[in-house]
Amino acid sequence: MNSELREDPRTAIVVSLGIMALVAAITLMMSAPFLALFGGGYAYRGLIHGVSASLLMVAATVGLYQAYRLWFGGHPSLTELKAGSVAYVVAALATTISGNWIYIPYRANVPDSPRSYFLANSPEIHKVWFEFKEFSALFVLPLTVLIAYLIFSYRDDLLASKGLRRFTAAALVLAFFYFAVAFGLGAAVTKLKSV
Amino acid sequence: MIATHLANKHIVLGRAAAAAWSVAIGMMALAKAHLAAEMSEAWKTTIHGFGKAWIPGAQGIGPYSGKETFALAAWLISWIVLHFLLRNRDIRPATLATVFLIGIGIATTLLWPPVWEPILHFFGSH
Repeated sequence: MNSELREDPRTAIVVSLGIMALVAAITLMMSAPFLALFGGGYAYRGLIHGVSASLLMVAATVGLYQAYRLWFGGHPSLTELKAGSVAYVVAALATTISGNWIYIPYRANVPDSPRSYFLANSPEIHKVWFEFKEFSALFVLPLTVLIAYLIFSYRDDLLASKGLRRFTAAALVLAFFYFAVAFGLGAAVTKLKSV
Repeated sequence: MIATHLANKHIVLGRAAAAAWSVAIGMMALAKAHLAAEMSEAWKTTIHGFGKAWIPGAQGIGPYSGKETFALAAWLISWIVLHFLLRNRDIRPATLATVFLIGIGIATTLLWPPVWEPILHFFGSH
């Protein structure tokens, strides 16, 4: 082990996690029908949207924890807040764009599309739950941009102002709420009839 | 145990208000575009046209693409305007939060189908 790894435990942790992720990825590709993930039809769109939404779930969960620290007077690191907010925006943007992409086969005017299926068999699933899910999802990106703007614009002043700390915490909770509604309803709809 | 005492430095919140209130305006524009599209086929076609003007695959996405366009335009344009109007204004945190939450709340309520469907039905358009 070189001196840099000995002196900086964070570097050692990152390298260790990287090696573990590599081993896990190789094991997955050798043992699972990996190519089946890309299957026929629109499965690859579902894969991309699902992975984006899963990354967004991680960012939203971290955001909820940061909201707790901001509200109750913890000592969040500005660097962590900045990195987390950028990751949050990127994940929200990727999920929104891929959501548009997968919405095309969802609402295709063919008998086998999920929308046609729900309207024929259980209209409330589309007319209430899915419609609210698709709008709820659109709240997430502007809220994450707002949060990132507040963090990058006010920097240390944000941490020093009780009012702005609590407003940022509230925005983080709201972003989590709209994400959770969209994610939960999206997962439920996919379980009932996928694209 | 997390400390409960928070520092409370006074800072000018005009920029924060512009950024936050523009999000509420964008989401209210989304609700308004949705209600308009549900009111008549003519509005639905018009709103869809705004989406088709720039979003790839908007033909397949449908009027939703136009509603997104309205929300995006209202959010970003109002942010620019409010930023120049409010950037040096000393806005209280309570005012910042109240206006923001009311705006977001109205938009969310108007997008909940059990609310907007009776409204349109009342006006004879649904």
